[in-house]
Amino acid sequence: MLVTQLKSKEELLTIIKKPAFVIKCTGCKEVLFPVTEIDEFLKTAEITVSDIISTDYICNTDFALKLSEKYKSEISNSLNIIVFSCGIGVQSISALLENKKVISGCDTLYINGFQGLNTRENNCRQCGQCYLSETGGICPITACSKSLLNGQCGGAKNGKCEVSKEMECGWERIYKRLELIKETQKLTGDIKVRDYLKLL
Amino acid sequence: MKLKELFNSGKFVLTSEVGPPKGWNIDKTIHEAESLKGIVDAINVTDNQSSVMRFGSLAACHLIKDKGIEPVFQVTCRDRNRLALQSDILSAAGLGIENMLLLTGDHTTLGDHKDAKPVFDLDSVSLIHTIKKLESGVDLANNKLDGEPPKFCIGAVVSPCAEPLEPQLMKMDRKIKAGVEFFQTQAVYETDKFAKFMEKAKNSGIPVMAGIVILKSVGMAKFMNENVAGIHVPDNLIEELKKDKEKTKSGQTGIEIAARLIKDLKPYCQGIHLMPLGWDDKVPQILKLSGLI
Amino acid sequence: MLDYTKYRLKPDQEILDILKDKTSIFLVSCKKCFREFTHEDGETEECYILPKFLKDNNKKFTGCVDLDFLCNSHHNAKILKDIDFKGAEAVGVLSCGLGIALAAQTIEKLPVYAIADTIPQANNNTCETAYHGIALTAQKCAACAQCYLNVTGGICPIVDCSKSLLNGQCGGAKNGKCEVKGKDNSTKDCAWEKIYNRLSVQKSPDNNTAINIRNYAKPAVEFINKLSNANLEKRNQGFYGGLHPFENKDTTNEKPISSFPEPETVSILLSQHTGAICEPLVKSGDTVQFGQKIGDSNSFISAPVHSSVSGKVISIEEALHPAIQKKVKAVIIKNDFKNTQHESVKPAVNIEALSKEELVNIIREKGIVGLGGAMFPTHVKLKPPKPVDTLLINGCECEPYLTADNRVMIEHAREVISGIQILEKILGTKQTLIAIEDNKPQAVEAMKTQTGSSITVSTLPSKYPQGAEKVLIKKTLGRDVPAGKIPLDVGVVVTNVSTALSVYDAVYKGTPLIERIITISGKNCSKPGNYKVKLGTPLQNILKHCFDKPADTNTEIKMGGPMMGILQPSIETSIIKGTTGIITVDKKVVEPDTQRSCIKCGRCVDACPMELYPLFYAYCSSKNKLEDNEKYDVAACIECGSCENICSSKIALTSIIKQSKRIIASKKVS
Repeated sequence: MLVTQLKSKEELLTIIKKPAFVIKCTGCKEVLFPVTEIDEFLKTAEITVSDIISTDYICNTDFALKLSEKYKSEISNSLNIIVFSCGIGVQSISALLENKKVISGCDTLYINGFQGLNTRENNCRQCGQCYLSETGGICPITACSKSLLNGQCGGAKNGKCEVSKEMECGWERIYKRLELIKETQKLTGDIKVRDYLKLL
Repeated sequence: MKLKELFNSGKFVLTSEVGPPKGWNIDKTIHEAESLKGIVDAINVTDNQSSVMRFGSLAACHLIKDKGIEPVFQVTCRDRNRLALQSDILSAAGLGIENMLLLTGDHTTLGDHKDAKPVFDLDSVSLIHTIKKLESGVDLANNKLDGEPPKFCIGAVVSPCAEPLEPQLMKMDRKIKAGVEFFQTQAVYETDKFAKFMEKAKNSGIPVMAGIVILKSVGMAKFMNENVAGIHVPDNLIEELKKDKEKTKSGQTGIEIAARLIKDLKPYCQGIHLMPLGWDDKVPQILKLSGLI
Repeated sequence: MLDYTKYRLKPDQEILDILKDKTSIFLVSCKKCFREFTHEDGETEECYILPKFLKDNNKKFTGCVDLDFLCNSHHNAKILKDIDFKGAEAVGVLSCGLGIALAAQTIEKLPVYAIADTIPQANNNTCETAYHGIALTAQKCAACAQCYLNVTGGICPIVDCSKSLLNGQCGGAKNGKCEVKGKDNSTKDCAWEKIYNRLSVQKSPDNNTAINIRNYAKPAVEFINKLSNANLEKRNQGFYGGLHPFENKDTTNEKPISSFPEPETVSILLSQHTGAICEPLVKSGDTVQFGQKIGDSNSFISAPVHSSVSGKVISIEEALHPAIQKKVKAVIIKNDFKNTQHESVKPAVNIEALSKEELVNIIREKGIVGLGGAMFPTHVKLKPPKPVDTLLINGCECEPYLTADNRVMIEHAREVISGIQILEKILGTKQTLIAIEDNKPQAVEAMKTQTGSSITVSTLPSKYPQGAEKVLIKKTLGRDVPAGKIPLDVGVVVTNVSTALSVYDAVYKGTPLIERIITISGKNCSKPGNYKVKLGTPLQNILKHCFDKPADTNTEIKMGGPMMGILQPSIETSIIKGTTGIITVDKKVVEPDTQRSCIKCGRCVDACPMELYPLFYAYCSSKNKLEDNEKYDVAACIECGSCENICSSKIALTSIIKQSKRIIASKKVS
């Protein structure tokens, strides 16, 4: 799931040069995209805009290209391109319009899960060395705040993580799950050391 | 003794470098350092150089300082997060270490623990910034330090012969803004390039020490040209190494080249930083030949 | 096409280590997403490799299931729960971490083992995680919560720099290449050199003088958890799939119903309903009166049409039908602006005493059809051949922009309820539900104050396409209408609130269906609102009266809402019984196209309220085998447009679906 948040008004106003061409990407409609906040910002910030375009999936290079062709003159008349999207959208526009300053209007807070932007309960951080066999199908990399691989630390209280009371201790969940499938012996198995080379 | 004071006094500053061993017995390293005592002004102690795990830089600096040699504590951002870095820097102050060289550090994949987690929580610029904050009495998170703040002389590195040079200059500029007090450079073999670099760099007024790596063989020169960032050994030097194989093997060619480079570079810079890579015994000869001692 | 393969088999030895205590294995695999969609039912290649590998290593392979989008718990948890794993000691899963986690959490009886590793996308072990876009793109985002693209010329220093440096280049780049080598010694460009070059092109080199230090406390776990849980809940509430399109109802929500200016001529189409076209009952030169029947048919499934003005018939000619976009016969009447009422326009007498048959007859004679858009003759619905226990009144109006039903419920609550009571009497149903989305609190309130004992108002969290009959029945009554069946098959009759109002008008006032309430809104609309419009009013009149410049090159006109509304390429048409609104919307920057290829992002599967796999329709279309879509239950599709709306490749799925249905139907006839 994708979560983006509007950058602070002050931060944006210090870098925006007028007139600006504004692209709002609303492609991932079923995610958290700060639509109202952006409209409010554009209304109150008094930025001279050559146009405001609401479109979707600007991360698709073909679509971004079509957009840039269609609004060629507006873009060339603008000093800045402000893109309200996730970081991927901003990059694909800036890669396309190399000689324009492309401003990212949002911070991308979270892209949960691997299937990307769909709403999923589970999360995968692409560690390249799946540990789920050993942990009852609960990911120690994402479910544990410290991404511990060899068991629980001393920080959990009443089943909650020391980092956030709203977060369950991942290793307690793993333990319960292993108990259920009678595989608790996995907890005393080989010592695991993560291989960060697998990320390359 | 802070290097800054030497620069301020107008001295042409000389530093060399030792790498701690992969093992606990540091005697040999200390011996190497001692052999340069009185010849150079300070000795850099590398920090897990080339991402190869070794005896710690901080402890080695302390032991060298005990022998009356001024150490330059090298700190990289590869292996420690901001807590560990600040903690080690305070420890250095407590051990009387005053000079530091701050680097981003080679990536873990270049070393002998390729599967390690690369940290890079801070980078060289933000580390300089952090130390400036420590010197002002607060840590990076603005918590007040107990007692008197530490005082250091902070150095950083730059590659004067990098292609393209501009990104390096930009980074150098940021290091200066962050409060760096001297630069040691990557190995220089091209005086003209260095002169051009200094043309741009001298305005800041921050002293620059040109880096010298002794050329040991043709193979080494070629390897560096292929693989080492910011280093280019020009063809005429490679030819010189090729010409008299015996002389090159004995190290004499390398010594002569290094001495000549130092002579040529001296007018442009404020000091020389030697990286002997194990040929510490050649350092006095080079310096003598270049007329510095 | 970029390769976004999500997982790779673990090394042989590792698989054997994982399975060392187990001798018989069942395999579950995911058919992989984000790749060229090239085979429909084929199994993933690993499903061929692995059984042999297991056999060679003295393991028993007991079976295999190969699923699309394994991580989709709604679709696949059911399937996994139903599998008989008999004889297997463990389940091996081939998927990215999401699929493996789902399988492990679903299959409770057996240990589930990961025999694949998720392929990292960042190619950077400092930033660790990076995500590609939903569409195929080379750019990655690590969701650092503190976007640096503004100071780096739009090149991400977190993902692209091997050390995720924020303050400039390190000394490690050589010939523009990073010091870090990837797999097989592959090199990548130094990100900071790229950043420098980009900034130079933009002539704004390094205006970022601040020292950037990353804030790892951002974003806070609690904050993100709160947001994502709320979003998850919003997505899953009510029914599976669906969308939350931007509603754009604010402009007209508060606008009371007003009468649209009388047109000089009206063009009354003789087909404004599902079923047989009417024969004209008047001829050119005839004088007609307001409410006079001017067309009728002998067929059961049909509805008469009436004149919405008094005046003179100019001609009977072919005119463009706005819904089917074909020419049909129409009666063109010149308005004399007198509105002389026809004698038939009078309230029914002694309404309480009227029989069911008499009421149905009035509804037929007055030409009442479903006003939600489908235009199915209401009298046909009221003679059900099967027992009906529930009357479901649809006040959802889930289409963006449209607010006509909302205003009807607010302003005509009493009449709507009376209309419902007539329908209840005819059908003899025990319970009546009025379903309204929670974005119409005033309507909910208005209806609640009027409801009687048998009528309940059900407030539903808004989500598109809530108002689709099948979705609504499932949501409110928990009944599944099977594919190819209608609400009647589960004992339900569904009617729109505006239809209930017209039933009231027909019975209590004697007014036939000659005018209706529509929403006029959208881009360049100077007089947005809810208007009572006479049927046959030319579209041109609407555009002239309510819009500044209705049809520029970037705008398109739709009859109905933006989701299911019908595009009007020509303005030479008129308002019919099924017109719920006239809206103008921005033309899409990229138009949907039937020819684009699917990248298997799976969003359509996520959005389909009928729980179908619309991507297969695109696949069959690309193979020119639309008839094959029968296999993928295309008949069950309600054509709500959610899949097309969310499609990351902008494939014109709705037209593919419509065409498939036509082809399959014509094949069945022959």
